[in-house]
Amino acid sequence: MALFPENLSFSRKILPILAVIGLIAAIAYIAFGLPDRQLEEPAEEPARAPTALADISRVAGAGIVEPSSEIIDIGSALSGLVTGLRVQAGDRVEQGQVLFTVDDRAVRAQLRQAEAAIGEARAAIAEAQSAATTAAQQLALYRNVEDPAAVSRAEVIRAEGEAASARSRLQLARARLQAAQASAGTARTELGRLIVRAPIAGEILAVNIRKGEYVSTMGGGGQPFIQMGQTQPLYVRVDIDEDEAGRVDLGAAAYISPRGTADRQVQANFVRAEPQVVPKRSLTNNSQERVDVRVLQVLYELPESASGDNGLFRVGQQIDAFIPARSGKTDER
Amino acid sequence: MGASRQKCKKIGLVMIWIAIRMLTGDKTKFYGLLFGIAFSTLLITQQLTIFVNLIERGASGVYNVAEAEVWVMDPVSRTTDISYAMPSTALERVRGVPGVEWAVPHIRANAAIRTDTGDLEQVAIIGVDDATLIGLPRTMLEGDVSVLARPDSVIIDDVGTTRMFPDQPTPVGEVLELNDQRAVIRAMADAIPSFTSTVVLYTRYSQALRYVPGTRNRLSFVLVGAADGIPPGELATRVTEQTGLRARTRDEFAQDGVDFIIENTGIPFNFGITVLLGFIVGVAIVGLTFSLFIRDNIKQFGALKAIGVTNAKIVRMVAAQAGMVGAIGYALGLVGTAIFIWAFGGDPTFKGFYIPWQIPLFSLVAVFVILGMTGFFALRNVLRTEPAAVFR
Amino acid sequence: MDHSAAISTRGVTRDFPAGQDVITVLHGIDLDIRAGEMTFLVGESGSGKTTLISIMCGILWPTQGQVEIFGTDIYALTDTELVEFRLANIGFIFQQYNLVPSIDAAANAAVPLIARGMAVQDARAQATEMLNALNIADQADKLPSQLSGGQQQRVAIARALVHEPRLVVCDEPTAALDAKSGRRVMDLLRDIAVAEDRSVIIVTHDNRIFDLADRILVLEDGRITHDGKDMPEDH
Repeated sequence: MALFPENLSFSRKILPILAVIGLIAAIAYIAFGLPDRQLEEPAEEPARAPTALADISRVAGAGIVEPSSEIIDIGSALSGLVTGLRVQAGDRVEQGQVLFTVDDRAVRAQLRQAEAAIGEARAAIAEAQSAATTAAQQLALYRNVEDPAAVSRAEVIRAEGEAASARSRLQLARARLQAAQASAGTARTELGRLIVRAPIAGEILAVNIRKGEYVSTMGGGGQPFIQMGQTQPLYVRVDIDEDEAGRVDLGAAAYISPRGTADRQVQANFVRAEPQVVPKRSLTNNSQERVDVRVLQVLYELPESASGDNGLFRVGQQIDAFIPARSGKTDER
Repeated sequence: MGASRQKCKKIGLVMIWIAIRMLTGDKTKFYGLLFGIAFSTLLITQQLTIFVNLIERGASGVYNVAEAEVWVMDPVSRTTDISYAMPSTALERVRGVPGVEWAVPHIRANAAIRTDTGDLEQVAIIGVDDATLIGLPRTMLEGDVSVLARPDSVIIDDVGTTRMFPDQPTPVGEVLELNDQRAVIRAMADAIPSFTSTVVLYTRYSQALRYVPGTRNRLSFVLVGAADGIPPGELATRVTEQTGLRARTRDEFAQDGVDFIIENTGIPFNFGITVLLGFIVGVAIVGLTFSLFIRDNIKQFGALKAIGVTNAKIVRMVAAQAGMVGAIGYALGLVGTAIFIWAFGGDPTFKGFYIPWQIPLFSLVAVFVILGMTGFFALRNVLRTEPAAVFR
Repeated sequence: MDHSAAISTRGVTRDFPAGQDVITVLHGIDLDIRAGEMTFLVGESGSGKTTLISIMCGILWPTQGQVEIFGTDIYALTDTELVEFRLANIGFIFQQYNLVPSIDAAANAAVPLIARGMAVQDARAQATEMLNALNIADQADKLPSQLSGGQQQRVAIARALVHEPRLVVCDEPTAALDAKSGRRVMDLLRDIAVAEDRSVIIVTHDNRIFDLADRILVLEDGRITHDGKDMPEDH
């Protein structure tokens, strides 16, 4: 449009050009200034329903991995110092295997005392027996004397008395022996109770005591001394909201994934549903909380491949579960 | 036929050459017209922009979460800030709905903290899913989301930083006390502030439960992603049907936040008045100037009509004049708005302000209406002019 | 009707409403304007000469009657056709010149060409030639406000002639000029405008130039009262 190049008008040429440039710049600014509200895929894989359940009705639940025996909190029958710790966390133990021992010196002293008393009682018995024998022989001697004048009546009575006394001494000594033996037995039992053994075969999950620590039967510290359980197989305990409880297809396998590793899902077989619907255990564990949500707990058995030392699941781990719903149940809602 | 049409078109064009010269020849009126249009455009665009951005602050909580397609909440919850907590099993109930690709918990709560200067500052605590961290703003200005893996970590938002630590180069490393718990700021997020510009602290869900003294139910929202092929709207309906909870798609929930501000503040009314004023000022300035311009040139128009310029061409000439004034004035007004928003973009109050593309279109329409109205009245005079008047 | 005439009017009357009444300005004008002549239309203010000239050049509808310009019944045309007819056949010189103030002399003179769709550059070139013929080619790049009255009048004449119309209508061409300039403009008009096949109608009451007329028509109260080469003595 160089019609009149000598006549470069500000209003007609420069201004419109400036306006166009400004407009383009403004439009570009507006276009690039628009907020980015695109949806994004989550960076970390969240728990997803398995493909098998993606489009059919299902129930989701959260739960915790536990041993199939549930967790056994091992206690101690007697208080005292821990003198020996035979296991550590992760050990597999047989039933009856020693877990830890408690200081037994006091009990052993009692035992020795009882044993001494046994010896003493035995000695007393021997002495009493010999005395009784002597008295019996003497009495028999006097009885065999035909001549009443040869043995005075008094002698006879004394001999009879001695014999009776020796018999009762023997009885006493025997009673003492029994008492001492009982006392030794008690001490031995106590000794046995100071050795804590595994009640079942399983895995040691936690050891919260150390040698030299004092264990109290009063349950000090709130922590169990040793936790163990049967971890072959592992179970998961899935909490289902009571509202949803009726929809669960009890008996069907569940899809379980650990928290934070949602892309690795395993199928777990149904074990049983707990008969009791219990209050939901809240994450906060605040004792003042009023809980009105109740949950049905359903147990599933994790496959062997998913447990074990290198497995996906560990006891106490939180999991997300997807369970098929009973067919037709959704429609009733 | 085609040739003649082309000729007609050309006639229109060359007459426009004269029209533009007529317009720019009268500098006072030309710049008056430009000013009128530019000022109207600026006023309308800028005020509407601020208005839209202000009320969209009600939706910032929703838009800051980039991943959630559907928000599930208690039936009485209204916006991200006004929510009634649900029992924690709501998460699993939502997960049980077919079509839910994933669902994560989300907690939003308020707490008060004491700042270094001794002031009490209201803060919003947002707890995001521990495992996936879904619910955090998209970008971090400082640090990384992975800091949340460390104990007692919180992420502060950038506007909150300017309120809490105005004099410090970085808030990272600051230790706060929340509900008798230690909270260490370990990163700064790039987030759009809320309507009230409340300081926001992001942390993990489990951590948030400790920071907020609360009652039995703490779960504010469940964020849901839809499975492939399922529209969020339908998924929301499904969730509501199956769980009885209120489910809103991202856009719906954003709209809820906006509506809440519209319903509960005088903002729309005030801005409406300003926009109307801008329009009236535009009509007044442009209308008066344009009529004066046409009146001044009415003899020339009459002469042109006598010489042999049809009314259609006259209309085109006036339209070209209006179009030029409108285009340049509009461009200047829009540039002014862009410069305004750009210049104030650094201010925390205007953080994240943008010009929605609809607003320039709206002001363009307003310019059209202003010029259409004034041009119509001006043209009426021209068209009414008898060419015979030139002989008087 | 005389079809050889440049313009012929038959029974042209024109009424104007004035409040409740109707004023009849023209009473059945029958006229034939010949080509190649410079015709003066003379009359007092209010005699109806402006109305008549407007009707004769197709910018005012007569209440009754017929106007033919070069054989075309112009008021039988549609509005647009009439406008285009004017553009093609009539050149106008207005009393106030009515030049567009913001375009230069050449562009002003080129307006009819531009209105016909000629490219601005070509139109200007052609208009500059016309200005050259009128001896003001050196003023071609000046705006009307930079020109004297006589110069503006010449630009107006150039505009009226640039597109070679067959009819040129002048309204008081000398009214704003002193006697000398007026005379010069009229000489120019005579030299350039009057040609074979072209007729020039001049509306005037400037008696200083009556001697230049080929034919003088006197209009009084809406009627032609004189038609001849010279003015009647009583004027």
